[in-house]
Amino acid sequence: MSEQYDLVEATIKIIQDRRSIRQYTKDSVSEEHLEMILEAARQAPSGENAQPWRFVIVKDEATRKQLGAIAGGGSGRRFTAEFVTAKMQARFESLEDEAKKKAIFEKLTSGRVSAFLGDAPVSIVVCGRKDVWDLPYDTSAAIENMLLMVTALELGACWVIAPCIDIRDEERLKGLLGVPEGFKVISIVGVGHPTRPHRPRPRLPLHELVFNEKWDVAYYEEES
Amino acid sequence: MSDAGVSLDYVNSIVYDLEKAFWDERGKGARFRVTNVGRDYFLNKCLPRIESREVESIIETVEQVMREEGIVAGIAHEIDGRLLRLEVQGCLHGEVEQRLVAKGVEPFTCIPANLVVLAIEETLDRPVELAEIKVEDGTCRMVLALFESRPTFD
Repeated sequence: MSEQYDLVEATIKIIQDRRSIRQYTKDSVSEEHLEMILEAARQAPSGENAQPWRFVIVKDEATRKQLGAIAGGGSGRRFTAEFVTAKMQARFESLEDEAKKKAIFEKLTSGRVSAFLGDAPVSIVVCGRKDVWDLPYDTSAAIENMLLMVTALELGACWVIAPCIDIRDEERLKGLLGVPEGFKVISIVGVGHPTRPHRPRPRLPLHELVFNEKWDVAYYEEES
Repeated sequence: MSDAGVSLDYVNSIVYDLEKAFWDERGKGARFRVTNVGRDYFLNKCLPRIESREVESIIETVEQVMREEGIVAGIAHEIDGRLLRLEVQGCLHGEVEQRLVAKGVEPFTCIPANLVVLAIEETLDRPVELAEIKVEDGTCRMVLALFESRPTFD
């Protein structure tokens, strides 16, 4: 980053610049950068300071391909289920470009939307101890910290839940990586160098998100 | 502890509470965390009876076990390309789904469907996904997606 920012500006810039990156160059991620990403995770807050997170670093090509296959298989099943019940068509009803719509449906139902994980130079498999109270929240904070550090390092990453959202897939994943029974696989973060810049995805305006004292009483007025 | 059977009302009220609690915690994602509920039962009661490697025959064996055990009155099935439609009648747990629907919760799991999915996956290694559960007139109608094999993305 050659530009100069004060701390507040830098913080909001990193948050706003984060993207879900699914296409990577062949370049590897340096050990120095990987350690900075993991250090960011380590500094996350956790209930009772339990620090339940554990990380499995996967670089081996054969294992990465298996991660991609599990992720893609899970996504493909779920999106096919959404497609055959016409819920996906309803979700994309406002999209008028039929060719684009068809391509999206194909990408989702084939599972390719998540199988990219097999091409990420490094996958960080985030696991969490089950014998704590706040496992999903703690580990999610660690993951977001990693994503922000990835952005600061001008790398790219994607938070992928596809390989472990279904317990059947999570079991395969645990078998593949030898994760013991006392731990849950939360997500995988694929990290690499982005092939291209990505545009920001739309965000809902604050006036739709924030309420004043009571639910449904807008805190912010809608800008005209 | 008495070895007399417990009432179905008690069992279903507990199953309902558990499902509702899980829905409240996990929302639509709850569906994916209960896909192997019934596995022990499947391994003990169904798997030893499955001899065929034909989907139709596997489903019929699971149905037979569930009918013999008094869990369902019957399961009709139809395979239409990659779609598998199941119609479960007289299910012991039907009240659970009806209570969920009454609370505005779309039913997200079905033990008979899970057993069918487990049977196909465990014997043929073909992935199956439960896509939809509709409760109509005491009958659960389900749509499942059947896949030929596990993708490798090579």
